[in-house]
Amino acid sequence: MAEKAESDEAPEDGVEDSDTMEIVLFKSDTCAFCPRAEEVVRETIETFEPGTFKLRVINVSETPEAAEEYGVFALPTVMIGNLSITGIPEPEMLMKMILGVRVTTNEV
Amino acid sequence: MSEFTIERVKTGIPGLDELIEGGFPKGDTILVAGKAGTGKSILATQFLYNGAVTYDEAGVLVTLEEAPKMIRRNMLRFGMDLKKLEEEGKLAVVDLSPSKEATPVTIGEYPSFDLSGLEAIIMNHVKKLGAKRIVLDTLSIMAYKFKSRDILREEFFKLAAHLTDEGRTLVLTSEIPEQHDGLGVFDIEAFLASGVIVLYNEKISETSRSRSIEVLKLRGSQHSSRIHSMRITEDGIRVFPGEIGSG
Repeated sequence: MAEKAESDEAPEDGVEDSDTMEIVLFKSDTCAFCPRAEEVVRETIETFEPGTFKLRVINVSETPEAAEEYGVFALPTVMIGNLSITGIPEPEMLMKMILGVRVTTNEV
Repeated sequence: MSEFTIERVKTGIPGLDELIEGGFPKGDTILVAGKAGTGKSILATQFLYNGAVTYDEAGVLVTLEEAPKMIRRNMLRFGMDLKKLEEEGKLAVVDLSPSKEATPVTIGEYPSFDLSGLEAIIMNHVKKLGAKRIVLDTLSIMAYKFKSRDILREEFFKLAAHLTDEGRTLVLTSEIPEQHDGLGVFDIEAFLASGVIVLYNEKISETSRSRSIEVLKLRGSQHSSRIHSMRITEDGIRVFPGEIGSG
């Protein structure tokens, strides 16, 4: 099972292991689509080896500053690396993002 | 004041309040529409600046298009020192412009989202400052940022209703595309606002243009139904109620 962490801190603060990919989910207390989006993200990362991902959930209702910092205001939004997707994501799209970021990271 | 009296929020823009019975109705959403370069952002910023400097009402400027650095520089040309107001806690400039380096690149969008994040970000500043005036500049950029226009339309209504709660007055700017008959790209802009002001900068000859302003509608107001001359001076926008413009 993939590592799960929930925090409102800015994503960079939590990067500890360079092999662990960070996935950030922006949600709010009033967003009706956010619970399902969170489920999809969690189900997707659970198909990988434990420790592959670190999930950070930013609740914009509680820490609007974090969303403002990233200019993310449509919810839910999933951010992986410098890529994002808005709305309830399809698992296939999440996989594409993960692979895309992994390829980009390995190129650097 | 009777419960039937509409309280007014003065814009402080020379000549404009005369056209609208003293100011915008308090707690309303006002749309300022016009083609590119007509002065929408200047008018909206003057509304905030005058509120903070003259009427003791703090304001929040949400920029979805232009970077704050450029706004501060451009408005300084009209004598509006936004930086100073920000330092004094009378104004917040909320940067949601595409120029932010930290903003991720959106590679996809599903029609299952809302703008509750935008509301939370704006309300955070509103509460900190006790702001009574909010400007969102510009609504039109959302059409380029998101594909799901039906969702956006619905979300705009919710957003405007929540932001204007507790007597806050909201000014939205909307860019009218060239060769377009409506008031913006979403075709609901006029319904979204209880007041609509349109700015023009029409070509009147091969070598000159004429600026003018029209109050298209304003809730509960006997506003002028004419198109009036307007100029952008070194002090910002100035309306000339006695002069009829060309529209």
